[in-house]
Amino acid sequence: MEYVNPEGLRLDGRRFNEMRQIVAEIGVVSKADGSAVFEMGNTKVIAAVYGPREIQNKSLQKNNDHALVLCEYSMAHFSTGDRRRQKNDRRSTELSLVIRQTMEACILTELMPHSQIDIFLQVLQADGGTRSACINAATLALADAGIPMRDLAVSCSAGYLNSTPLLDLNYVEDSAGGADVTVGVLPKLDKVTLLQMDAKLPMETFETVFALATEGCKAIAERIREVLEENTKQLEYRRAA
Amino acid sequence: MGLPDSSQDLTSEMEVDAFRRIFPLRFFERHLSESLRPDARPLDKARDTIVNLGLVSTADGSALAKIGSTTMLAAIRMEVMTPSTESPDEGCIAVEFHMPPICSPIVRPGRPAEAAPVISKRLSDTILSSGMIDLKELCLVSGKAAWMGYLDIYCLDADGALFDAALLSAVAAFSNLQIPVVALNDNGRIVAISDEKEQDNASIIEEEAVNKEKRKLTLKNIPFSLTCILHKNYILADPTTEEESIMDTLVTVVLDSSDQMVSFYKSGGEALAYSSSIKSCVELARKRAKELKEILGEMDVD
Repeated sequence: MEYVNPEGLRLDGRRFNEMRQIVAEIGVVSKADGSAVFEMGNTKVIAAVYGPREIQNKSLQKNNDHALVLCEYSMAHFSTGDRRRQKNDRRSTELSLVIRQTMEACILTELMPHSQIDIFLQVLQADGGTRSACINAATLALADAGIPMRDLAVSCSAGYLNSTPLLDLNYVEDSAGGADVTVGVLPKLDKVTLLQMDAKLPMETFETVFALATEGCKAIAERIREVLEENTKQLEYRRAA
Repeated sequence: MGLPDSSQDLTSEMEVDAFRRIFPLRFFERHLSESLRPDARPLDKARDTIVNLGLVSTADGSALAKIGSTTMLAAIRMEVMTPSTESPDEGCIAVEFHMPPICSPIVRPGRPAEAAPVISKRLSDTILSSGMIDLKELCLVSGKAAWMGYLDIYCLDADGALFDAALLSAVAAFSNLQIPVVALNDNGRIVAISDEKEQDNASIIEEEAVNKEKRKLTLKNIPFSLTCILHKNYILADPTTEEESIMDTLVTVVLDSSDQMVSFYKSGGEALAYSSSIKSCVELARKRAKELKEILGEMDVD
């Protein structure tokens, strides 16, 4: 099947290095300490952060002088093409762990001992790149909650189909059987916090795809920064009024 | 205890907040005696209600309902199934209500909210018993194939009156539902067809034409609900989570568009209701049903 036509356009009309449209908003769940909605094309994710608050399950606490970060990833039953979405299926558990470890690396947990930070992610619509959308949404929600972080954790995916590296795969491109590289980056510190790939790629191709994904991450970081700045301006305006 | 005068500076603002946390009941009663609530609503007024349709593109019908801050997202997916032998001409609807941990600080993973299965069952009973949906409309081929509609309602923000918001989002989702077009292929199986294939005459038989006309369900007797709190001799309509947590007697009345009562629910609680309070609750529900009918009417629901 042709994923990139001879003119260089993909199935949805994007070029190889074009991301899908991003819509981001913070403060959407009134009951949460911090929350955000993040959309990448048709993938919609809501993140809610509760914390820092008292540790609820003392048996999980391993290190007293750091905050405990918990993360739960779940998909709504209507989020994918077929309705069968089990609550505790292996993919959800794996993603919860991956996202937790990514966010834990960038939260300054030593500033909040004896407390717990909960990050909850709910996927409302899945069209490829849910992992990345969740990490981006979680970053926004943590910022909205005022939790101190080293840097913004941003994530983007890239793949390789029809001999072309492609940025930000949607579901059809993802299920095509080519490589899918997900990268999570701390842009200002220029450090990679998450890197996952399933497939076979020659080394040079991998480096090209990885570089493309990192570029995508930087673009998302810009966007996230804009959203946060706009929100701060609004808060300042309301406070002054 | 003397109450702080709110015209003073920031220090007295803090005291009001502390008073609200430490003596919530007295804080509320102080407001109730003036026939007001802390968010300046009169006792019988519900919060601002918004309904949006068609937000989830992966679902066959969806709606988002917001009452104040309480947010519910409902989505319907249709699947083909074999009808039961007792009712070969009827389809089926499965209603499920979820409270994911994002909606409220008291819901934790591994400890689902107590309210979720209760509301799930009540919603299911109300929707099916109201007769809003004629299950016969969900039939495709008598005895062989019928639609099974999976209605999933997710609470995205829990701020009181969960049942009302959930029912509203469910009704709106049904109004937004577009049943997918299907055809009967040569093996006697139902297959989904896309718009281009409609022109292909090879496997299209009479049934498909019928399905093409009936893409939307007719909704009659749409149920509308209102939850009230009974406290001493006050009746508060549309409570928030804070109000629900201190005054625990909740009464839910469900009326349909022809002004008949579909369901009445009072599950114990400290306050006992006189028949006069019950009548007042029903009156309030009637007014609210009119409001909700207008709101849904703006979205082109019949």
